[in-house]
Amino acid sequence: MSSLADLIDTRKDTAITSATSGLVVKAQDFLQGTSKIIRSFSLLGKLGLAVILFFVILAVFAPYVSVHPYNLSSGAPLMPPGGEHFLGTDDLGIDIWAQLCRGAKISLIVGLGTALLAGLGGGLIGIVSGYVGGILDKFLMRLIDIMLVIPDFPVMILLAAFLGPRLINIILVLALFSWVSSARIARSQILMLKEKTYIKSAELYGAGTWYLMRKHFLPEIFPLIAVQMIRLTGRAIISEAGLSFLGLGDPTSKSWGLTIHYATSFRGIYFTEFWKWWLLYPWLFLTLMVTSLAFVSRELEQFADPRVKK
Amino acid sequence: MRQKTRTKFIEYAITIWVVITLNFLLPRLIPGDPFLILTSQDAEDEEIVLSEEQREFLFQYYGLDQPVYKQYFIYLRELVRGNMGFSVYYKQPVSQIVMHRLPWTIFMVLSAVFLSTLIGTILGCLSAWHREKWVDKSLFLFMIIFSEIPSFLLGLILLFVFAAGLGLFPLAGAVTHFADFQSGWEKIWDVIHHAFLPVTALTISHLGGTYLLGRNSMTTVLEKDYLRTAWAKGLPKKRVIFRHALKNALLPIVTRVFLSLGSLVGGAILVENVFSYPGLGTLMRESVRVQDYPVIQGIFLVVTICVLVANFFADVVYRKIDPRVSS
Repeated sequence: MSSLADLIDTRKDTAITSATSGLVVKAQDFLQGTSKIIRSFSLLGKLGLAVILFFVILAVFAPYVSVHPYNLSSGAPLMPPGGEHFLGTDDLGIDIWAQLCRGAKISLIVGLGTALLAGLGGGLIGIVSGYVGGILDKFLMRLIDIMLVIPDFPVMILLAAFLGPRLINIILVLALFSWVSSARIARSQILMLKEKTYIKSAELYGAGTWYLMRKHFLPEIFPLIAVQMIRLTGRAIISEAGLSFLGLGDPTSKSWGLTIHYATSFRGIYFTEFWKWWLLYPWLFLTLMVTSLAFVSRELEQFADPRVKK
Repeated sequence: MRQKTRTKFIEYAITIWVVITLNFLLPRLIPGDPFLILTSQDAEDEEIVLSEEQREFLFQYYGLDQPVYKQYFIYLRELVRGNMGFSVYYKQPVSQIVMHRLPWTIFMVLSAVFLSTLIGTILGCLSAWHREKWVDKSLFLFMIIFSEIPSFLLGLILLFVFAAGLGLFPLAGAVTHFADFQSGWEKIWDVIHHAFLPVTALTISHLGGTYLLGRNSMTTVLEKDYLRTAWAKGLPKKRVIFRHALKNALLPIVTRVFLSLGSLVGGAILVENVFSYPGLGTLMRESVRVQDYPVIQGIFLVVTICVLVANFFADVVYRKIDPRVSS
């Protein structure tokens, strides 16, 4: 009797220790995996990652990194870089560096918001479409075909113009036109996986939809969607900048695109030196961010999908 | 083959119908009174309240008292006749304004498509022939960096460096106004001089995609058996490259040319605004600024339908030139 109790006891113990050690091992695996992936990046990929990290830190610590307010005048208008305002000020005397820190935050919110909505939403639509099949699949595929051929930027302008310039509206509009790619990826993966023998046998053993989803489909599809989401982040940031540049951005948001919009709308911008700080720095930040995201997603693609090689 | 073309046609027709219907529904789904904006010029202005009779007259005048399905049929009928409404701000029919601006946009987009395809293909093939040598490596690096920069950002820096800074190119517009041209050539030169920077910005940002596709497609073709046969037969280098390799490598590029028109048009709208080029893009920004919704909708409709029609023809042409697809 006592031996049985002992056995149960030790079993419990080992179960607990294995659970915790399993977690530790998983965390270690994750860290090792990440560092391995990063180490195998090319120089461009590493640079891109560093730039993105820099902007994330800038966005998170925006209020601490910049002394001056981003929405209030804090000096003489159009001061050149140097001294207290080390990237200069704009025509209202607002510190450019403060605006750019704020812009990093807005860019990340727009990029990540759109990517999460479009990536997860699109992925879900793709999974359902591929798994359920039938009329629903046909309908969704036609819808995707239509979405693919419609030029998205004009529609975005139309929608943004009608919905009004609010950050949440812009994120929604961008997401509405970005889910298609993730849905297609998820669907094609599901269609392929459904025919695999191990899925078939799991089904024969009575695995339900939810079980299959959790155990087999999601782990296979998630890396692909994750890479796609990084790409979507970059595209969303570009589109937001484009809309803001056209004057359709949220006027309270102070995104990089909006700063560029104000700078280029300034009458004397072409004939003065002001562009050398007012326009150049937001331009530089935007370009660096967008290209870095593209490089990192390009590098990650090789890990998520072994078929894609250089 | 006929059958396939017909299904494609129906698909595109449905897409165009969806776009038109969206265009019809959108303003009607948005809450608000259309005559409120018409009567008060500024947001800060006091809203001018119309009397009940005036309101009714306006609703009747614009046909808004009819049931929605009737409005829809009227909308379709007028659209077929080429009537896209009346601009609130410009006080002109929308179709007239749009048609006046459309040629400039088409000119810019087509030149960018042509140039980026030509240069991209040549460089891509060059890269594939010198694979893993320094030509290939440096081209590849250059292309993946520049293809990721959006065209309007590229345009901005080109504008400030070459037009504002160095003064090599004009700052805005498509022609020199009030200029007296001695000959037709001078006029053409003037147009090219104005279009050079915007077209360059669009071309460079579009080049990368074509280049990568050309490089990949050429590399696969070069490894094919029939190419080894061609070399083994002792054909001259020129004949192998142009007759055997290039012809086959071009196929995927042709589809890309047309399918990328949509994104190119999006880029063109922004680039036009950078250079104040008098196409549809600048018109769109102006009408967004003054909230001239009929014009925004008109531009959207014309641009979308142009892109869709181009895509449809791409499909047909592609099937004609690649016999493998139609069989």
